[in-house]
Amino acid sequence: MNDELMIDVRGLHHDYTHGTVVEPVLHGLNLRVRRGEFVVIMGPSGCGKTTLLNILGLMMAPSRAESVGIAGCETLGLSEAARTRLRRNELGFVFQRFNLLPTISVRRNIALPLRIRKAEADGQVGELIAQVGLAGCADKKPGQLSVGQQQRVAIARAVVGRPALLLADEPTGNLDSGNSTAILELLTGLHRQHGQTIVMITHNEQLTVTADRILHMRDGCFVD
Amino acid sequence: MLALAWANLMHHKLRTLLSALAVGIGIMLMLVSKGLASGSIAEVNQRMQSVDAEVVILPAQDNIIFTNGAPFRGLHERYLRNLADERGPLAAEVIPVFFGQVKMGGQQQRLFGVDPERMEAFLGTRRVLAGAPFERAHGFADRVRAGAEPPPDMADPAYQAYLADGLELVIDERLRRVGGYRVGDEIQIMGQVFRIVGVVEAGVAGRVFAPLQTLREIVVAGETNASMYFIKLRPGLAADQAADRFQAALGMDARVELKSDYGRLLRDSFASVSLYMTASSGVALTVCFLFILLTMYTMVIERTREIGILKSLGVTRFGLIRLAVVEALLISLAGVAVGIGLAFGVRWFIVFLAPLLTVDLAAGQLLLAVVIGVVGGVLSALYPGYRAARLDPALALSSE
Repeated sequence: MNDELMIDVRGLHHDYTHGTVVEPVLHGLNLRVRRGEFVVIMGPSGCGKTTLLNILGLMMAPSRAESVGIAGCETLGLSEAARTRLRRNELGFVFQRFNLLPTISVRRNIALPLRIRKAEADGQVGELIAQVGLAGCADKKPGQLSVGQQQRVAIARAVVGRPALLLADEPTGNLDSGNSTAILELLTGLHRQHGQTIVMITHNEQLTVTADRILHMRDGCFVD
Repeated sequence: MLALAWANLMHHKLRTLLSALAVGIGIMLMLVSKGLASGSIAEVNQRMQSVDAEVVILPAQDNIIFTNGAPFRGLHERYLRNLADERGPLAAEVIPVFFGQVKMGGQQQRLFGVDPERMEAFLGTRRVLAGAPFERAHGFADRVRAGAEPPPDMADPAYQAYLADGLELVIDERLRRVGGYRVGDEIQIMGQVFRIVGVVEAGVAGRVFAPLQTLREIVVAGETNASMYFIKLRPGLAADQAADRFQAALGMDARVELKSDYGRLLRDSFASVSLYMTASSGVALTVCFLFILLTMYTMVIERTREIGILKSLGVTRFGLIRLAVVEALLISLAGVAVGIGLAFGVRWFIVFLAPLLTVDLAAGQLLLAVVIGVVGGVLSALYPGYRAARLDPALALSSE
């Protein structure tokens, strides 16, 4: 596997099965993303973008594939424990619906990936909270924040562990244009600062401006 | 993980509180029922151990708690006195006891009929706090021993006059305090009016003593029957060997035991009741832990999305099971704390309502409650934790 590649996917197929009905979603898809690259994936709803992201994020296994290389590691055939370990150490997620834990504070939400890795959290978390502009909200619960603030928390949580690959699934999908711009600036700023590889799904044309590459998907394949 | 578990529980305060309360009630039931049984047994045993004797002779029945009546005849007593080896009689003293029943202090008490002359064997070092350990009953007992015959007609005033000196009671301090009795108070027992003549320190074998001769006269028309015997052995005799000799001599009519084994006999007699109580507590506790299981299971279902988030962040299956276990442990340990608190409260209430009952909340039982809480908490979290661990992260994240 080429170490320059953060993602090296070949011949990726995925089907959903509903009873006896098999619904193909991804059709022999190939994708190569270099380390440090910012890739945006666009496409209509139902074309398989989120499924692809879930597979890249090791949250689901493909129905079949020749290779699914993530962060220099071939993930096909990996045990559940090894996939979890890879997810914990190399990947970060930003979701459209933020997916913050409602029972704990902003600070604890952001620190969670470090706690799970049993890493020291204090200084790094404080810095990130300030960087994403939530200095006064650290001890609030997510439910006490605006949606824009919640997405900032989600981004801070995704990057706090300095993952090699950041996967973002429509991070501005629930935000107004003002918040979308702010989140975009935040993501691009973090990308520039840390050089993380980012693969982002979006419908937002505004986000494509800063991307290194834009891929279009339709019916389970990349077009262009 | 602990902080997350705590936060999750605090997010559902009422449910957490109810779960802990459910466990607490189960733990309290276990502690109080065990405490009542062991407290009563320990107290009765302690009192019986205060008698200055080494061997007890009981009716040949399995259950010594419900010993009643006076199956031993005068013949038995003579036999016990006369049983001897080459150095003389085995018994230095044979102390008969005749049991009756009396309601005093708000509950039924075993009435110990003892010979006033032998009262010192029951008192030991305990002090007489008021009055005397029998007054005129000594004279009555002497007259009976001398062969005085009562008038044949019980309705005859002469019969009442004959019995009058024997109608005395000695009670212990605890009963005096609970019943508010004083020396000189009169108590009706078996159609006769007895007068309290003495109060002794608590810890003596019975709470209420009456003259042996009086009870015999009232219950068995003066026959020299007894409900049990205490045997004080001749100095130098090995108690177990002497007990074997007595047993061999009395055959199947009696059960001869060392007085030091009386606690075990009580526990054996209480075994079936104890088993029932343990089973009841066990069922109650099982239901309580099923309640925790249900709570945890509901939490897993409700928090499917959160479990997906944790999985996406790289929490392992074991980590999720551990999270469920930690939450269940926090609930069950809180439940144990509530249960122990409730048990002390209920003990206070029981003693308030029935002051002569003893509820023994021993350290061992409290420790057992903690162990049960820990084990129950872990077990009740395993299945919900397993369910959480098996959730598909992508599906869990798409859950509403």
